[in-house]
Amino acid sequence: MANGCVYVLVAMGFNIIYNSTGIINFAQGEFSMFGGLLAFTFAVSLGVPLPLVIILTLLTCAVIGGVTERLVIYPLRRAGVLAAIIATIGASILYKSLGRLFWPKEAYKVPDFTAGNLPMPGATVSSQFLWAIGLTALSVFLAWLFFNRTRTGKAMRACSVNRQAASLVGINVSHMSLYAFVIAGALGGLAGFINAPYAKYSIGLFLGIKGFTASVVGGLGNTFGAVAGGLVLGLLEELIPGFLTVVLGVSSGFKEAIAAIVLILVLLWRPQGILGKGVVEKV
Amino acid sequence: MAEKSKAETRKEEGLGSRFLALVVRNKILLILAFFIAIMPVWADPISKPLGIDLVYVMRLVGVFTIVAVGLNLLMGYAGQISLGHGAFFGVGAYTSALLTVKAGFPVWFALILSIVVAAIVGLLVAPILRLKGHYLAMATLGLGIIAFVFFRELVWLTNGNDGVRGIPELALPGLNITTRKGEYFFVWILALLVLILCGNIVRSRQGRAIKALHHSEVAAEAMGINVSWHKIKIFMFSAALGGLAGGVFAHLQGYIDPGSFSIMLSIELVTMVVVGGMESIWGAVAGAGVILFIPEIIEALPKWLGDVPRWVERYSLYEGILFGLILILTMIFMPSGITKGLSDMTRFRRSPFVNPFRKKGVE
Repeated sequence: MANGCVYVLVAMGFNIIYNSTGIINFAQGEFSMFGGLLAFTFAVSLGVPLPLVIILTLLTCAVIGGVTERLVIYPLRRAGVLAAIIATIGASILYKSLGRLFWPKEAYKVPDFTAGNLPMPGATVSSQFLWAIGLTALSVFLAWLFFNRTRTGKAMRACSVNRQAASLVGINVSHMSLYAFVIAGALGGLAGFINAPYAKYSIGLFLGIKGFTASVVGGLGNTFGAVAGGLVLGLLEELIPGFLTVVLGVSSGFKEAIAAIVLILVLLWRPQGILGKGVVEKV
Repeated sequence: MAEKSKAETRKEEGLGSRFLALVVRNKILLILAFFIAIMPVWADPISKPLGIDLVYVMRLVGVFTIVAVGLNLLMGYAGQISLGHGAFFGVGAYTSALLTVKAGFPVWFALILSIVVAAIVGLLVAPILRLKGHYLAMATLGLGIIAFVFFRELVWLTNGNDGVRGIPELALPGLNITTRKGEYFFVWILALLVLILCGNIVRSRQGRAIKALHHSEVAAEAMGINVSWHKIKIFMFSAALGGLAGGVFAHLQGYIDPGSFSIMLSIELVTMVVVGGMESIWGAVAGAGVILFIPEIIEALPKWLGDVPRWVERYSLYEGILFGLILILTMIFMPSGITKGLSDMTRFRRSPFVNPFRKKGVE
């Protein structure tokens, strides 16, 4: 289920960017990669205390998100979908290689939030797991507050309904796009931090695919559908490998393909997601 | 008689001028064929001082041209993005390799089957063509991942990470095509045939249909084009070319493993198409050339300059930085790719770059 929390956060990043810009950010997984690796650098290499590590990691990832928007998305704001897809893929490869350049080792052990287990009625739960759930719940709550109670958040929701109309009522659409990337960067960073007992440079692509699957399962653009999608995917990934090895007796290496298969099946059968309503496509 | 029918005019022009017209129409093809034909003559002497085996690299360029031109038909002309085309390349390579090594099929028969199998796989996954834009991109990316995982995990079939060894060479009785130069000529004859075929397809009824559905599926449907069937056909054709290139690749290399067909391959293929130029048959050649020569040139740099910084020597560790930058910068500054950019430059005396920050009128 801790994995589920990670997918929830990545999926929320996808949704927020999709809502305010109409594009899918293929570099979303790489924000998480930076999250995990930066957390390692701050906590282990620099010895920063933990609360500060969280803040620094989130801030840096938010800045990375913002820079991505200004350098990659903003110049392409008038180009088509294909251009945006390819450019964000470019960004994703670029970040992955940067990650490999600065953190060349296979894996980095990021310290737990607090060590040890908590005795619970019936079972013991690692406190890391509670942190994961707590921080995810907190981010979901904060996102809800932001999108429903603040002016900027409401403006971003207006962009998701109709960018042109939003621009007509005086919303600066380009700024909203920047904010979306900043928020998505921070969420991605948090996901990377939670995900990582071991952080490595190559994690971005798979995390990206899984996060996207989660957001599609919940309905793309539905920020809170992401919660359901992420948890469902996390659960499936726990159950299916066990089923594969125990019942069918095949290698658990197939695990990596689960998210991709779920993604394709959901896209074909229920493209609007398990929670989504039918959409009418405009010509 | 002031008005002559076209047929009469053509008859009077005679054979010579018709031949000339044919030459003019296919001038790029002929220039390329000429360049390919004489290349070994001048390339061999300078390969050594250059530190790049030009003929060897060009052979790979030929292989990747075949799959890139297929992907370009799909992405550039039909507008259907595929981020998983490495999967078909891999399917072709594994089909041909396993049929020859494990089942003892004749090489050429296996190569043909690799085309067929890739096309069938293309047909099987064709339902995802119902998706559009981002969804299609992500779904094809997922396909690439699934294919990679299957290549690696179906150990009883593919030997997993150990790969398949001892794949026989493509040999023809009487023709010497297993030498280095022979392979080069064989690959390029195949590539030129594929280029001619694709060039004809885009000018045909089919080609016009897929260009129409690129711009508006609804309008294309209204014109009586069977949109989904055309999409499936072009996807299968593109997959088949991927399979062909993969099969040839397997026989040339003699050894394949899943690592060669990871998602990075698919992304390199997309880079080739984008850099070379979408909606351009020749863009595939240019793109494959650029993308395959860049690593070679950087690896050869120490030989040219003597002393290079350490980070240049360790280039292969992070070639992704370069690919990523190329993708981003091409999309921003030269979205129509090298071939279109250059032809615009020569034809309209216009800079091949676009300025994304220029203010435009009210949208």
